[in-house]
Amino acid sequence: MARATLLTDDLVRRLIAVGQVDVVVGLPTMNNAETIAGALQAVHEGLSQHFARARSVVIAADGGSRDGTPDIIGALPSGARDRHGGLRTRHQIVAAYRGVPGRAGAIRLIFTAADLLQARAVAVFDPDTDPLTPASIGGLLKPAGPDSFDLVAPVRARHPLERLLVTQLIRPLVRAAYGRQLDEPLLTEFACSGRFAAHCLAEDVWDRSPMREGIELWLAATALSGSFKACQTCVETAAAAPSQRPRPGLQEVFTPLVGSLFAALDAHAGAWQRDTAPEPVPVIGVEVPPPADPPAGAPSGLGGSFAQDVRDLRPVLESILAPETFAAVAAIAEAAGAEGPSYPDEPWVATVYDFVAGYHAGAIDRAHIVKALMPLYVGRVASFVTGHAASPADEVARDLETLAQQFERSKPYLIERWYRAS
Amino acid sequence: MTQLIADAVSQAWTNFLESVVLYLPRVLATLSIVIAGWLIAALLRVFTRWTLRWLRFDALSERIGLAATLRGADLSPASVLAGSVVFWLVFLGFLLSGIDVLGLTALQGLVAGFGQFVPRLLVALAILAIGFVVANFAWRATLLAAVNARMSSPRLLSNAVRFLILILAVAMALEQIAVAQTVVLTAFAIAFGAVMIGLAIAFGIGGGAIARRFLERQFPERSDSDTDRVSHL
Repeated sequence: MARATLLTDDLVRRLIAVGQVDVVVGLPTMNNAETIAGALQAVHEGLSQHFARARSVVIAADGGSRDGTPDIIGALPSGARDRHGGLRTRHQIVAAYRGVPGRAGAIRLIFTAADLLQARAVAVFDPDTDPLTPASIGGLLKPAGPDSFDLVAPVRARHPLERLLVTQLIRPLVRAAYGRQLDEPLLTEFACSGRFAAHCLAEDVWDRSPMREGIELWLAATALSGSFKACQTCVETAAAAPSQRPRPGLQEVFTPLVGSLFAALDAHAGAWQRDTAPEPVPVIGVEVPPPADPPAGAPSGLGGSFAQDVRDLRPVLESILAPETFAAVAAIAEAAGAEGPSYPDEPWVATVYDFVAGYHAGAIDRAHIVKALMPLYVGRVASFVTGHAASPADEVARDLETLAQQFERSKPYLIERWYRAS
Repeated sequence: MTQLIADAVSQAWTNFLESVVLYLPRVLATLSIVIAGWLIAALLRVFTRWTLRWLRFDALSERIGLAATLRGADLSPASVLAGSVVFWLVFLGFLLSGIDVLGLTALQGLVAGFGQFVPRLLVALAILAIGFVVANFAWRATLLAAVNARMSSPRLLSNAVRFLILILAVAMALEQIAVAQTVVLTAFAIAFGAVMIGLAIAFGIGGGAIARRFLERQFPERSDSDTDRVSHL
C-alpha cells in the first residue's frame, strides 16, 4: 500500500531497474546546493572503501529544492560514482517526495525504496548537519543488518555545554524512561536494518503531528521500546566551514522535538513502564575526547525573564504541574535575580515528569503543554550554563550524569503521576 | 327584603361552590402536573449528572478552562450545573403546562411562548459554550506565543483576545434569545468600534516607536535572540 501511494511510477521503474541491493544510503535534501556535492562524494568514497562488494544505491529524497540541488546531483560526471574503486555498479537516484516537506517525508521515501529493494541495511545522512566522512559512513553502516544491529546511532565528541536541549531534557528523559542510554537520540544520521525500516513504515506516524516533525526521535524511541537491537558507533567530527544557512531558533526546534518525544512516551507507555533493569547500549569504536573549549558562554540575561514568565503563565502551569512542583517553581522564580534563576535538578526533573504526565492526560491542549514547558526549559538552561560558566568539561559532564541519575531515580514519580493524572 | 338577600347570598355560594367544583379538578390536575414534572425533572437532573460524569465532562471542562471559571464565580462543577439547567428547563415546562390547564386568561399562551423560547435558549447556551471554549483556547495560545516570543505584556494581550471573543459570544447569545436586540446590537457595535478606534489611535499616536519595534521584531534581519545564542541542538 505504501509503495503504491508513495512512489511514483517513474521511481518504481527506476528502482526495479536497480534490482535487489544490500545497502541503501539516503540523503534527505532541501536546498542543499552548498553541501550536497561534498556529501555525495563522501558517501561514494565510504561505500567504495567499506562496501566495495555490496550492491548499493544512493537515494537523494528531495523536498522541492529551489536552489538546483537535484540538478547538481544529476550533473555529477558519470564516472564520478565509480572512480572511488567500488567493485559493483552503484546506482544513484534523485526523487522528489510528496506531501509536506520535511525529514519525515524524505525518510519515508528512503525506507519505502529500501523495502522494495529488499535492502539489508539502510543509512540516512544529513548533508548539512555535520560534514560527512567516508569513515563515518562505514562506521555507521557496518554494524547494521538483519544479523547484527537494527539501529546504529552515532556518538560524536561534543563539549557537554553544547546541545543543551539534548543534555538537559531529551537524553536523560529517554534514558530514564526506556532504560537505554543513547548519546544521540535525535538521530540526525543513523543506520538501521531493513527489518527495522519495514517495521517503522507500518507505523501510523508519518503524516501525524507531532511525530512527523520529530521523526528521528520517534524512530529512536521505537527501537528502544521494541525488541530491536541498538548500538552506537563513534563517529569523528570533521572540521567544517560555518554554514551560511540560518540556524533554526529555539521555538522552531523545541515544540516539534519535545512534542514528538512526549507522543512517543505516550504511545510506548506499556513498554517503558515495565519494571525492567536498565540496559547499556553498546558503543563500537574508540570514543574521542570532547573538545576542551566550551562554546560561547550564555548571553547575559538569558533567564532574566524567568520570574515574569512564571507569573504570566501561572494559570497554565497550575493546570499542568502538581501543586508541590508548582510551589517549587514559583519559589525559584521569586528568588531569581537579573542573572536568571537557580533551577536545581530535583524540581527540574519533577517539572519535566509533570509535563509528561499532563501531556498523557491531556490536561489542556497538548500543543499548549509542550509550549508551556519552553520558558521553564530556558530558565533551567540559564541556571545550568551560568552555574557552569567556569567549570571544566569533565565537571560539567559529571553534573550531567548526576542529572540523568536524578531522572532515573524519579521514574516511580513519573509513573505515579501518569496514573494519577489519567 | 331579607329573603332577597338570603337568595342572593345563597346564589353566590351556589355559584362559588359550582366554580370550586368546576375548578378543583383543574387545580388538582395542575398540582399533579407540577409534582410529576418536579419528579421527572429531578430524575433527569440525576441522569444528566450521572451521564456527564460517566463521559468525564468535568475533566473536559477542566481541560478547556470552564471549571476554573466556574470555581472563580463560586458555581458548582460543570456536570452539576448542566444537571440543574436540565432540571429547571424541564420543571419550568411542566409548571407552565400546569398553569395552562388552569385556563387563566392572563396566563394563556405562556406555554406556547416557552416552547418557542427553549430552542432559542439552548442555541444561545451552545453559542456561549462554544464562545467560551474558543476564547479560552485563543487566550492560552496567545499567552504562550507571546511569552515564548518575549513580547511585552503577554497577559494583557491574551486577556484582550479572550475578552473580545467572549463579548462577541455574549452579544450573539443575547441576540439569539432576542433580549433587547436593538440595544445589545447597538451597544456591541459602539463598544467594539470604540475599542478598535481607541486601539488604532493609541497605537498610531502614542505607539509609533512601539510599532516600529514590533514590526522590527516581526520581520527581523535574521539575528539570533538571547535564547538562540546557546547551543540547543
